[in-house]
Amino acid sequence: MEAVDKLSPEIARLIAAKQERRHKLAALPFPEKVRIVVQLQRMVAPVLRARGRPVRVWRLTGD
Amino acid sequence: MEKTLQVLTELEHDGLLLRYAIGGAMAATFYAEPVLTFDLDVFVILPQAAGLLLTLVPLYDTLRARGYAEQGECVNIEGVPVQFLPAYNALLEEALAEARETSYENTPTRVLRAEHLAAIAVQTGRDKDRERVRVLLEQAPLDGEYLRAVLARHNLETRWKQWTS
Repeated sequence: MEAVDKLSPEIARLIAAKQERRHKLAALPFPEKVRIVVQLQRMVAPVLRARGRPVRVWRLTGD
Repeated sequence: MEKTLQVLTELEHDGLLLRYAIGGAMAATFYAEPVLTFDLDVFVILPQAAGLLLTLVPLYDTLRARGYAEQGECVNIEGVPVQFLPAYNALLEEALAEARETSYENTPTRVLRAEHLAAIAVQTGRDKDRERVRVLLEQAPLDGEYLRAVLARHNLETRWKQWTS
């Protein structure tokens, strides 16, 4: 993979934006992050179940 | 999730656990960006049974009596698969003793410190642990002096330098 300092300004900008988004996600309140994890579980669970791995999507309060 | 944490607090109150704290991917998520996990890793200090044996049996028996079923290595507590991990070395005992008090919604809970998560990852030493260290270094508010002391106390400085240089 090409080093970041050799990338075009546009690609470098996209990578920087991605980095910034990750830092914003890291700064969210914990309950909000747990909701994101559960959303990820909902997205991935059908794929894993189709591969034979029995996974359970977490139940949050109010679900 | 909130009810799950309430049950953990009850277990501690009832003496089935001497102390618990969230670890693993969910603890890393507390300090950094959310990462996919299907298990809630809970590190525990267990009361010593007769003969000085540490066993999860009384805990599992109690949970089963309350209607929480075992699923493989986990127990499904209020819709969340919880994996109980007894503290099996000095680093984990220290991590539990110094875990951070916090709350989830309206429920008090405890999460391992980010510095201990990093040290535990170094000690465990798998590829995914190395990635955890990288993410924690990039995103978590690590106390450098505290982390250096933990690494030194548990003889983890060499691998830390290999991983982070």
